[in-house]
Amino acid sequence: MTRDDWYRHDRLPHIYCSGCGNGSIINCVLEAVSDIGWNIDETVFISGIGCSSRAPGYIQTDSLHTTHGRAIAFATGVKLANPDLHIVIFTGDGDLGAIGGNHFIHACRRNIDLTVICINNYIYGMTGGQGSPLTPYGKKSTTTPYGACEMPFDLCNLAVAAGANYVSRWTSYHVTELTKAVTAGLLTEGFSFIEVISQCPTSYGRRNSLREVSDQILYLKNNAVLHQRWKRMQEKGEDLSSDQFVVGEFIRQSRPSMGVSR
Amino acid sequence: MMKLFIDETRCKGCNICTMVCPYSIFTPGDTPNRRGIYVPVLDRPERCTNCRLTYLYGRQLCGVCSMICPDQAISWIADEPYSARCVVIEY
Ligand code: SF4
Ligand code: SF4
Ligand code: SF4
Repeated sequence: MTRDDWYRHDRLPHIYCSGCGNGSIINCVLEAVSDIGWNIDETVFISGIGCSSRAPGYIQTDSLHTTHGRAIAFATGVKLANPDLHIVIFTGDGDLGAIGGNHFIHACRRNIDLTVICINNYIYGMTGGQGSPLTPYGKKSTTTPYGACEMPFDLCNLAVAAGANYVSRWTSYHVTELTKAVTAGLLTEGFSFIEVISQCPTSYGRRNSLREVSDQILYLKNNAVLHQRWKRMQEKGEDLSSDQFVVGEFIRQSRPSMGVSR
Repeated sequence: MMKLFIDETRCKGCNICTMVCPYSIFTPGDTPNRRGIYVPVLDRPERCTNCRLTYLYGRQLCGVCSMICPDQAISWIADEPYSARCVVIEY
């Protein structure tokens, strides 16, 4: 099977805006599941609410489009009811970081055998670009018109601290690395968390002087700092600039996990 | 041989593909199609690594354009070898 067999071609083209990163990320995730060779009947995609969470609607498998922030709670139920199913969750920065924040940290703590793909476009895209808990400091959104005055969450550090077994961050530009990370996450027993920073030209880019899709792609490309390089920078006492962010694999461990079929 | 193919019913003209191909095969289009979308045009697509070598290696090569296209518009279709352009001898 190839990636194409996982799509619901009758539902394409999807409703995402031109140049939205969500489509590329779905490609990478489906490439990873078809590479591993999972069955359409044994895989379930679950999502909350938001642009990112529309993804399962374009995929052939069984899926649940749940209430806002509750994707992980529903997924926990599905996994515990039938541990043989492979479960992948699509969620967004607002859905996971704000509304579903508590589900997220407790799923990491319990280390349930799920894979969470968090598409971070820095804002609530579907509802018109309101600031989320991941809007970077000083960046504009409809609810932070003079620039966000709060510090954002770092979901990857949060997941590591809460006990997830696999944590990495990539962007929608780094498709090859992202596919490898998703594959590793899917194959890791226990909770896997992959944050994907994505371009949202419609609601984020145009308010933050990244008017063209290409501007935002270049922004992702130029500001991603590899985890190893960030470590070397720390040793030298250097700091990231306000636009830079760390990408790479943050942790891969094997804490005892829940819901693994044996 | 394989042939690159952009599905015009899916492409939304975001031009991301023009930024990623190592051979710059995709170039921004300059005429809108029926839906008002500027679909990229292919510049000598037979240079594509995947088109040339996929049968030889028996797997997909490169493929970055198809992977990053957010609208699932880029794919390859089987094609007859285009002999006229297989070898170009320059003096
Ligand atoms: S609003 Fe942003 S995230 Fe939502 S579909 Fe449009 S570009 Fe994508
Ligand atoms: S990346 Fe895809 S949707 Fe965007 S211009 Fe290229 S073919 Fe069209
Ligand atoms: S597969 Fe690679 S070489 Fe071929 S057109 Fe796509 S990006 Fe270019």
